[in-house]
Amino acid sequence: MDLLLHLSVVIAIYAIFALSLNVEVGYTGLFNFGHVAFFAIGAYTSALLTLAGIPFIWSLPAALAMAGVCGFLLSIPALKLQGDYFGIATLGFGEILRMIFNNEVWLTKGPMGLPGIPRPEFFGFAFDTLPRYLALSSGFALLTFAILAFVVLSPFGRALKAVRDDETAAEILGKNAYRFKIKSFVIGSVFAGLAGVLWAHYATFIGPGDFTLTETILVLLIVVMGGKGTFLGPVVGAVVLIFFQESVRFLRLPPEWTRLLGPLQQMIFGLLLIVLMIFRPEGIIREKGGQR
Amino acid sequence: MDSISYYLQTVLNGILAGCVYALFAMGLTLIYGVLNFVNFAHGELIMWGAYFLFLFMAEPFGLPLYVAILPALALTGCLGLAMDYSVFRPIRRANRLTLLIAAMGLSVLLRNAAQFFWGAEVRTYGFEVMPGTQFLGLYLTTPQFAIIGVTLLCVAAVYLLFFKSRLGKSMRALSDNLDLARISGIDTKRSILAAWVISAVLAGIGGILLALDTNLHPEMGIANLIKAFAATLIGGVGNLWGALLGGLLIGLAENIGVLFISPGYKDGIAFVIMVLILLARPYVILGERSD
Amino acid sequence: MKKLALFVAVVAIFAFLAVPTARAAEPIKIGAAFALSGSIAVYGEGFKKCIDLAVEEINAKGGIQGRKIEIVYEDNKSNPKDCVTAVRKLITVDKVPVIFGPAGSSNFMATAPVAQENKVVLLSAQGAAVGLTKAGDYIFRVFPSDTLQGPHLAKLAIGMGYKKVPVMYVNNDWGLGLKNAFVDAYKKMGGTVTDIIAYDEKKTDYRTELLRASKGNPPAIVNLTYINEGAIQFKQAFEMGIKTQWLCGSAARAPKMVELAGKAAEGVIGTYPSVPQNTKQYQAFKEAYKKKYGDDKIPIFGDYNYDMVYVTARAIEKGGYTADGIRKALPAAAKGFKGVTGDKTFDNERSPKFAEYGIWIVKDGKIEDYKK
Repeated sequence: MDLLLHLSVVIAIYAIFALSLNVEVGYTGLFNFGHVAFFAIGAYTSALLTLAGIPFIWSLPAALAMAGVCGFLLSIPALKLQGDYFGIATLGFGEILRMIFNNEVWLTKGPMGLPGIPRPEFFGFAFDTLPRYLALSSGFALLTFAILAFVVLSPFGRALKAVRDDETAAEILGKNAYRFKIKSFVIGSVFAGLAGVLWAHYATFIGPGDFTLTETILVLLIVVMGGKGTFLGPVVGAVVLIFFQESVRFLRLPPEWTRLLGPLQQMIFGLLLIVLMIFRPEGIIREKGGQR
Repeated sequence: MDSISYYLQTVLNGILAGCVYALFAMGLTLIYGVLNFVNFAHGELIMWGAYFLFLFMAEPFGLPLYVAILPALALTGCLGLAMDYSVFRPIRRANRLTLLIAAMGLSVLLRNAAQFFWGAEVRTYGFEVMPGTQFLGLYLTTPQFAIIGVTLLCVAAVYLLFFKSRLGKSMRALSDNLDLARISGIDTKRSILAAWVISAVLAGIGGILLALDTNLHPEMGIANLIKAFAATLIGGVGNLWGALLGGLLIGLAENIGVLFISPGYKDGIAFVIMVLILLARPYVILGERSD
Repeated sequence: MKKLALFVAVVAIFAFLAVPTARAAEPIKIGAAFALSGSIAVYGEGFKKCIDLAVEEINAKGGIQGRKIEIVYEDNKSNPKDCVTAVRKLITVDKVPVIFGPAGSSNFMATAPVAQENKVVLLSAQGAAVGLTKAGDYIFRVFPSDTLQGPHLAKLAIGMGYKKVPVMYVNNDWGLGLKNAFVDAYKKMGGTVTDIIAYDEKKTDYRTELLRASKGNPPAIVNLTYINEGAIQFKQAFEMGIKTQWLCGSAARAPKMVELAGKAAEGVIGTYPSVPQNTKQYQAFKEAYKKKYGDDKIPIFGDYNYDMVYVTARAIEKGGYTADGIRKALPAAAKGFKGVTGDKTFDNERSPKFAEYGIWIVKDGKIEDYKK
C-alpha cells in the first residue's frame, strides 16, 4: 500500500515536470536539454527557505518566482541561438548550475546536500503523512494540467505551434517568434520549479547529484514517449516510466543482482528511446496533424 | 614546484588536455559535417575504445599494450558502423530532435552497458606507477608523451586523407551538400561508412590515451563529450582544423582558468567559452552548417 | 484494444505489488542499508561480512531471548538519494525498529532525519563526521567523532616539525568536519595553514588540485582523503614529481589504497582511532573471521560493525524489540561494554566517549603503526 502511494506521488511530480517540458519541446519546438536546472532551482530555493524557518506558504511562490526569473534570464541570450546550438547551450546551463550547487558550500552545503527538509504546513495542517502528501502533489498536478491545457488550447498555444512548425511563416503573419519563445520558456521553467519544490519536500533530502543529465534524459523520455505536443501525452509517459523505474527499486533481490539492476534499467531506457525514435517518434499519444 | 615551472606546467597540462579534446572533436565534427547531426553517443565510442583495450589486455587475452591496441581500435570502428547501421540509418531522414534523442538513447544504452560489464568503479590498465621524465623543469609521463605524439600523427593522417585522397574529396563533397553529392554520382554509402570508421577510430584513440593518462570509468566519455561539442562549435561544424584549434583552445582555457577560479568550475569553462563565441558570431544563428 | 490490454496489465501489476508480503513474527529483524553496489561497495561488502559473523555467533548461542536475529540488507547504490530510499523501504515495507546505517557521512546524514522522523533507531559504525548524530535522539554511532581526531592530527604535524601546511580535503561532511577540527587545533598549536583546497570525490584526475597544493614545495601536505581518491592522488603526485610528506586521516588507511597506489603510497602517514589488536578478544575475532571467510584481513571498519551488532543485541535484550525500547536501552547496553574496538560507552551526543588515536604509516607496501 505504501509502495502504491509512493509511486503515485512520484508520478504526480514527474507529470508536472514533463508537462512543463512539453510546453517547450512539444509545443514550441525548443530543444531544452537543461530543463532539470529549473527543477533544481525550485527544489533548492524552497528547501533553503524552509530550512531557514520560512513557512512553505511563502517558500513555494518564492521558488516559483526564482525558477521563472532564471528561465527568463537564460532565455534571452539562449534563444538567440538556433536548434542544436540552443540545445547544447541549455545543456551547458544545466551543468553549470549543478556545479554551482556543488561548489558553493556556504549556500547549498555542496555535495553534502540538504537533509531534513520539512514537510509543508498550511496554517498548522501538516502534509507529513504519505496520503496527505499524495493529496498535495496530485492537487498541484491537476492544477498544472488544467492551467497548461488552458494555455496550449488557447490562441497562444496555437501560435506556439505555428512558431514551431514554421518560424518564418509565423513571423510573416505578425507573430514575434522570439517573444513567444521567451514566454513559453518562462512558463516551462516555472512549472518545472513547482515539480522541484514538491520533490524536495517529499524526499526531504536533495543534493547536486539528484539533478544531472540523467534526470533530463528521463523527463525527455517521458515527454517523447508519452507523445510530445499533446496534453495527455506527458501524463501517460510519466505513469508508464515512473512505474517501471520506481517499482523495480522496490523489488527485493539478492545484492549480486542489485549491482546490475541499476545499469540494466538504464539500458532499457536507452533502448526504449532508440526504438521509439525509429518506430514511433510521435509517442503513445499522437499529436493531431503533428510532424514526425 | 616553484613559480615558473608552476605556470609552465599549467600550460603543458592545457596542451595535453587540448590534444585529447581535439581528437574527440575531430571525430565529432566529421559526422556532424557529413550527416548533419550531433552524435550524442560519440562519448561512448571514446569510452568503449578505452574499455576494449582493457578487455584485450586482461584475461583471457592478456595481450601486451601495443598488440592489444589493434583489436581494440578495430572493434571500436565496428561499433561506430553498428551504431550507424542499427540506429541512425533507419532514421536518416527524420527531423533533428528525433536524431538527437535517438543518439541520447544510444549514449545511455552504451554507457550503462559498460557499467553493467565492468562496474562503476574506476579501473586502471594496471601499469606500475613511474615518476615522470623531467623535461625543462617540467614533468611528463610516458602516456603524456604519447598524447602529443599520437595527436600529431593523427592530424597528419587526417590531413593526408582528406586533402590528398579521393575518398577525402568525396567526404568533403558530402559535407557540403549530401543530396548534390548523391546526384553527382559520388559513392555516398562508402563515404558515410568511411566517415564512421574514421570518427570511431579517432574517438577510440583519444579514449585510450585519456585512459592511459587518467584511468577508466564509464562516465569518461560523456564527461568529455560536452567539451568536444564546444570545440566543434567553436571551430565551426564540419571544419576539422577548427575542431583541432577549438580543442586546444578549450584545453588551455580550462587549465589556465583554474589558476583564477575554483577547480570545481573547471568543466564549466568550456561551456562559457562556447556560448560566448556562439553569441558573438551572428552568422551562425541560422543553425545551418557553415564553413 | 491494445491500449485497454496495456491498462489492464498495468493495473494488475500495481495490484500485485500492493499486496503486503506476509511476515514471520519469530525472527528479530534488523535493517541494514549498505553500499552493496556502486563506487563504495568495497565498504558495504566488508561490513556485511563482519555483521554476518556477529549474527551467526549470537544466533548460535540462542539468539536474543530465543529468537534468531535476521538482517534485512538493502543496497544503497553508494549515493545519498538511494540511501534515503533504502532506509525508507526498511521502515515502511519491512517495518524494522532499528537500522544499521550506511558508510559515508553524507550518505548517513541524508538518512538520519528520515529515521528520526519515523522514530526508528539508526546506528553508524564508521561515521566520523562531526555532528553525525545531530539529527536526533534516535541516532547513535559506535565510531568516534572526528572532533577527537583533529587535534591528534594537528599534534602529529607539529610534532614532526611541520609548522606550515596546505590542507586538501574531500568536499563532503566527513572531509569538511575533519578539516575544521584539524585547522582549529593546528592554529591553536601555532601552525599556519597556507592553503585550503576542497575537491570532489569520485574524480579520476586531481592534477589541478595537486599542482596547486604543491606550489612553493611544501615539506608536508595534509590530505584528508578516501581510498580511491587517495590512491589516484598519490599516484599522480608521484608522476608529477611532487615530493612531500603526506599527512592523512583515517579513511585512507586501507590495504586497498596501498594496492591501488603502489610505490606512490610509500611513506604516507596518518592518524586513526586505534584499536589494540594484540588483545585476546581481538585475536579471537580475527580467528573467527578467518575460520568463516578464509583470510584474516579484517575489512576497514569491519570490527566496529561487529561491535555494533553486539551492542544492539544487548539493547534489544534489555529494552525489548521496539524502537523506543532500543533507544532507551542503548546507553545502558553500551556502558562499560568492551567490544573488540574498546569501550563503547556513549557520551551525551550518542557517540563513543573514549577513543585512542594511533599513527599509521605505509612501509614496504604495508600499513603499520608508526613509531617515532
